[in-house]
Amino acid sequence: MRCTYSCGSAEHVLSRRSFLGGAAALLGGAVAGASGFSPIALADSLEKKRKQILVVYLAGGSSQLETWDPKPKTDTGGPFGAIETSVPGIMISELLPRTAKLMHLMALVRGVNTHAAAVDDHGKGDYLMHTGRAQAPGQEYPRLGAVASKFLGKESDALPGYIHIAPGHGGLGRNESAFLGPRHAPLYLGNGQAPANTLRDPAIGDSADQSRQAFRRMLNDRFAKRRRSAETEAYTSTYEQAAKLMRERDVFDISKEHAADRFRYGDFDFGRHCLLARRLLEAGSTYVQCVHSNYDTHNENFAFHLEQVGEFDQGFSALLEDLHVRGRLEHTLVIVMSEFGRTPHINLYQGRDHWCKAWSIALAGCGIKKGIALGKTNARGTEVVDHEVSGGSLFHTYLSAVGLDPAGGFEVDGRPIQIAEPTATAIKELLA
Amino acid sequence: MKPNRNPPTAVLIALASLWACSRVDAVEPAADAAKKTAATSKSQPAHLEAQSSDGVSSSSSLPLHERIDRLIERELEGKFALPATDGEFVRRVYLDLTGMIPSADEARDFIDDPSPYKRDRLVDRLLAAPTYARRMQIAFDVMLMERRDQQKVPADQWKTYLYQSFLENKPYDQLAKEILSADGSDPTNRGPSKFYLEREGDPYILTRDVGRLFLGRDMQCAQCHDHPLVDDYKQAHYHGLYAFFSRTYGVQPAGGGFMLGEKGEGEVTYKSVFKKKITHSTGPRVLDGAPPVEPTIAKGDEYWVAPANGIRAIPKHSRRASLPAALASDKNPAFARNAANRLWALFLGRGIVDPVDFDHSDNPPSHPELLDLLANEFAQSHYNIKALVREIMLTRTYQRSSEPPPNVSPAELGAARYAVANLRPLSAEQLAWSVMRAAGIVDAKRAEVERSLIGVDPRFRAIAELDSKRKALAERLIESETYRSLAGNEHPFVHFFSAGAGQSQDRLDPTVHQALFLSNGDPIRYWLGPSPSWLVGRASASTDPAATADLLYLALLSRRPTGEERAAIVASLAHRTADKPRAVQEIAWAIVASSEFRYNH
Amino acid sequence: MNTSFSVDPAKIAPVKEFAHSSPLTTCRFDPKGTYVFAGSQDRLLIRWNLESAAKTTFEAHESWVQAIAFAPDGRTVLSGGCDGKLIWWNATDEKPRPIRTIAAHRPWVRSIAVSPDGKLAATSGTDKLVKIWSIEDGKLVQEISGHAKDVYRVVFDPKGAFLFSADLKGLVKRWDAATWKHVGDLDAAKLYHYDQGQGVDFGGVRDLAISPDGALIACSGLIEASNPLGAVHTPAIVVLDGKTNKEKLLERPKEDIKGSMWSVRFHPDGFLLAGSGGGSGGLLFTFKPDQVNETYKFSLPNILYDVDLHPDGKRIASAHYDGKLRLSAFARVKT
Repeated sequence: MRCTYSCGSAEHVLSRRSFLGGAAALLGGAVAGASGFSPIALADSLEKKRKQILVVYLAGGSSQLETWDPKPKTDTGGPFGAIETSVPGIMISELLPRTAKLMHLMALVRGVNTHAAAVDDHGKGDYLMHTGRAQAPGQEYPRLGAVASKFLGKESDALPGYIHIAPGHGGLGRNESAFLGPRHAPLYLGNGQAPANTLRDPAIGDSADQSRQAFRRMLNDRFAKRRRSAETEAYTSTYEQAAKLMRERDVFDISKEHAADRFRYGDFDFGRHCLLARRLLEAGSTYVQCVHSNYDTHNENFAFHLEQVGEFDQGFSALLEDLHVRGRLEHTLVIVMSEFGRTPHINLYQGRDHWCKAWSIALAGCGIKKGIALGKTNARGTEVVDHEVSGGSLFHTYLSAVGLDPAGGFEVDGRPIQIAEPTATAIKELLA
Repeated sequence: MKPNRNPPTAVLIALASLWACSRVDAVEPAADAAKKTAATSKSQPAHLEAQSSDGVSSSSSLPLHERIDRLIERELEGKFALPATDGEFVRRVYLDLTGMIPSADEARDFIDDPSPYKRDRLVDRLLAAPTYARRMQIAFDVMLMERRDQQKVPADQWKTYLYQSFLENKPYDQLAKEILSADGSDPTNRGPSKFYLEREGDPYILTRDVGRLFLGRDMQCAQCHDHPLVDDYKQAHYHGLYAFFSRTYGVQPAGGGFMLGEKGEGEVTYKSVFKKKITHSTGPRVLDGAPPVEPTIAKGDEYWVAPANGIRAIPKHSRRASLPAALASDKNPAFARNAANRLWALFLGRGIVDPVDFDHSDNPPSHPELLDLLANEFAQSHYNIKALVREIMLTRTYQRSSEPPPNVSPAELGAARYAVANLRPLSAEQLAWSVMRAAGIVDAKRAEVERSLIGVDPRFRAIAELDSKRKALAERLIESETYRSLAGNEHPFVHFFSAGAGQSQDRLDPTVHQALFLSNGDPIRYWLGPSPSWLVGRASASTDPAATADLLYLALLSRRPTGEERAAIVASLAHRTADKPRAVQEIAWAIVASSEFRYNH
Repeated sequence: MNTSFSVDPAKIAPVKEFAHSSPLTTCRFDPKGTYVFAGSQDRLLIRWNLESAAKTTFEAHESWVQAIAFAPDGRTVLSGGCDGKLIWWNATDEKPRPIRTIAAHRPWVRSIAVSPDGKLAATSGTDKLVKIWSIEDGKLVQEISGHAKDVYRVVFDPKGAFLFSADLKGLVKRWDAATWKHVGDLDAAKLYHYDQGQGVDFGGVRDLAISPDGALIACSGLIEASNPLGAVHTPAIVVLDGKTNKEKLLERPKEDIKGSMWSVRFHPDGFLLAGSGGGSGGLLFTFKPDQVNETYKFSLPNILYDVDLHPDGKRIASAHYDGKLRLSAFARVKT
């Protein structure tokens, strides 16, 4: 459990002098806001088009063999076949007929090896894929959603920067934003429902609400007039944000979408959640994560993947196509990932077990090359034989794709920390 | 929140003890004890010799609070805020010493009390009350556990341990030693073991958190090499501390709870990732202090109980057990320094070293002499927490207004200068209890608890008032039962107003979820309901709108409204006679949602 | 078939094993009882001569073979697979070649049944459909929809009056085998589970058997699926009344057994033979149709996926993950 440079020290990359220089330069201009954070380096943050991120997370570890890297007619390949896609030469599982037609928009990464950091453990894999770092005791780094909220989001946004749509209650741990604090913690939309406390007490009418808000503002003005306002401004602005969120509560309501779209996305949770993700992205959400559960198929892998991947194919392809047709894909990074893949070996329950050594993810959109499949596994899918990539390098790639500098950092209570794991670099072959 | 007509078992048991004890060995009135202990300081250890360039901090004939003020004001050239108004002060000191705002009556009585000594008296009264122990229990729980999940040790056992410790004003070194000695193996006293056990006995987590929380040094980055940015944090320091824990592991023996086991062998070696050829080794050592003497133990003779699967190994020499004495010691200046800094930060909103876990020479204290003074005095008082808290409360610095003085530039009022009181957002617990207090929930519950005690035996009150010791015990019973009944209401507030588990809980950004919760969430909506015994009901019952305004302001903001504010309320109630409770509720909500309520100012 | 002998439902002994190099998925005896056929993960239909052990492979499927059915004369065998294909073969050919190949379902054919008169084949698939084919010419006679989920099993009743189709949700539909009209539902939903936490459908009617007199319908599968993705569940049989369509009994192992009841057969003697595979390995059970717990339980050396009963009522075939086709046999008792 020793850390491998994961303390965030960038001395291996940057000289101590330049790092200190950067940190010192900060002290002069640092805003002593409630957060105590300031970006050290932020490339491209003033891009005209607002960059957004959509993550489709196939929880439990989806099988690369039943999705992006099929090996039909081998002892490891399982019963499903491979089909042609819109990109000649790239074949994917027959379970993805609709997504296959959109392959020209996508990049497959077939050489993912996360074994060293994830060691076939759900928690470790999940952490690695969301933070780009190996989990180590006593350390927590913010997840991609929190980083996106911090660096791509705006204070004035009505919607929180990190939105997480999941089946059931939807709640995960409580550390997703780590030291970036609760402002960048995920808003959980359990089962696609609108967030808690967004409905006003029906007994309080509009005019009553206006008068109570006016009274609140009057109190605040008096308080702020006579005291330093930096601390309180952030607080009072959350009420304006809350009011906006309540006014725009419909953004969480997919019944406002056309019936035809609801049908096209699929009459099941994941389809509805994909449609909700479209609404949220169109409403300006910085980062939306849509979880599809569950792929941890130690038992009857094929029957379960038949059902799950079928749902994924319908919901995801509808969403990807819409983002494309509506011109959003060029500024929206799309990531389809899991905590790991599944073993090529088919176990005695016709299941597949946890597997980090040679699996796949899929990307599309902002900053990503189109219509490519990078990396290769051997004939039985047991090893990466070309373009092996790590969880850390993927995280760098995501940041680069949306114009953030992975070598940039932020300061946490006086401690400079690099956004992405310092020893890894972005995968250039994936970047447009 | 249904009224509880039958007294709970805990109350009956406690009541029995009140009956039984003809001679109650209650703690002596705490503030007196605090003053006494502070006065009888021990002889100074060598490193605690006060150093001073201008004699301020060595002028020990002056009370400590005066010496503190002089060190602060020396830097301010007269540019600092006026003393807080009585309203500001009473609210602040109640929040800091009881964990919630005062009731309307308490605020009014204090404001209207003409005595020039009323502030000192209030501080002493609150320090002597069981609510002080409760407040410190909550603050230290959050500080030491950082909202970690409750998996290994029930929260009640740990909280009760902390509460009792602060009730008896246990010296801080003793508290630290108990916590750092507890391995969970004593089933009758698992409370203090929570610090180790919720961290699963993981040596790396313990190294980091003991460094942060007991030494004020986050040395995580010195694990793989000397800290790249902090000259003071050496890899040797990290691994010296780590060596106390490297043999420790968590184990759940059959039929027992989770506890710590320890191996009797295994040395700590490390090398810098920059100089991989040289391997260092270290035994346990706290920073640059003397390493604890280790007995020579023959190979093969290391154990009382040897390690095995599901067995808690017990070595003949426990390295971990040698930590408390080495760490919580006068010989380790970082120990008192960290505690003094953290207590200061708790009440002033900013550490003299800030962040409080990043004490090193490139991040110097804002007031080095002050930090030395506080640390020295704290150690000399035998780590008397209550005495130090009392001195802080009595400073002009603590009692300054949060309103800046006119014509002083903001730069001269930086948070680290203590020229003006720092705004401090209420903690999740302070917020929950303050809303409940203002709404009348706490006092209604208290009255109900008292009634249920009297209901059990009408002689209760007479017995309880027989002498001061019994009275103190009765007060503790009532407070404990009131707390127990209402503490569950903290949960939604903790959910919305805390950082993630294991994260620092200081300086949290406000979030939209908090505003939504306070605006539309069930608890506030319910507590501001028109029940006749609660605030909105009582305020609506008054026929005089000005009295309604006064009650709302005193209950929620611990002050009377300004003329302007009173007029605004009178005017808005004038055309709401038909739905007065609702109108009052709207005003009450607006106050709860205001910055003035949200902050300890 | 010699029906003057009955068997002892409480005594099974191993007989022999036939080996293959890839996991087996299904097995059937041919109607004459000369061969046993199996499907495999390496895309083969395999035939073993029960006497000589001669092994012949039928190669044409492009994926796992998981359904086998015979015309009553034993000459034609149909196989279905995860490639969605339904293939006609001559069962006894030395060098078998497909006689006819039809893309029947997408993506998988789940099961095949042949009508007692040998004229029709019914198939079911993961496309939620049931299809009726003419065995003679391979023409699609009827397509039947109505299931909301995978259709695991199709079975004709012994008289050929009805077709039963059973699905993942535990719904059994009864169709008139002349008009293909829906004539009723039977409820074996006890065998279905939706796991809220995992978001998965699981279980269903894995096999269905009808008593010789048509009075009872046994549906096999699993219950108590506390962890579908982790294979924690109990094999079980729901026995339904063929007249009232109501459940009569839920049968389950006496002891704590983990697995799924992949197969169930009515023995001519009137008891049930069932095969379970899962966490507790491969097991054969015999149940009386009116008793909750088994009469007898027999452990096989490896997890199994299908079981069939020889026309002699004595021999039992089981298809195993380790690639073995195992033959076991009931002890006979004189009547």
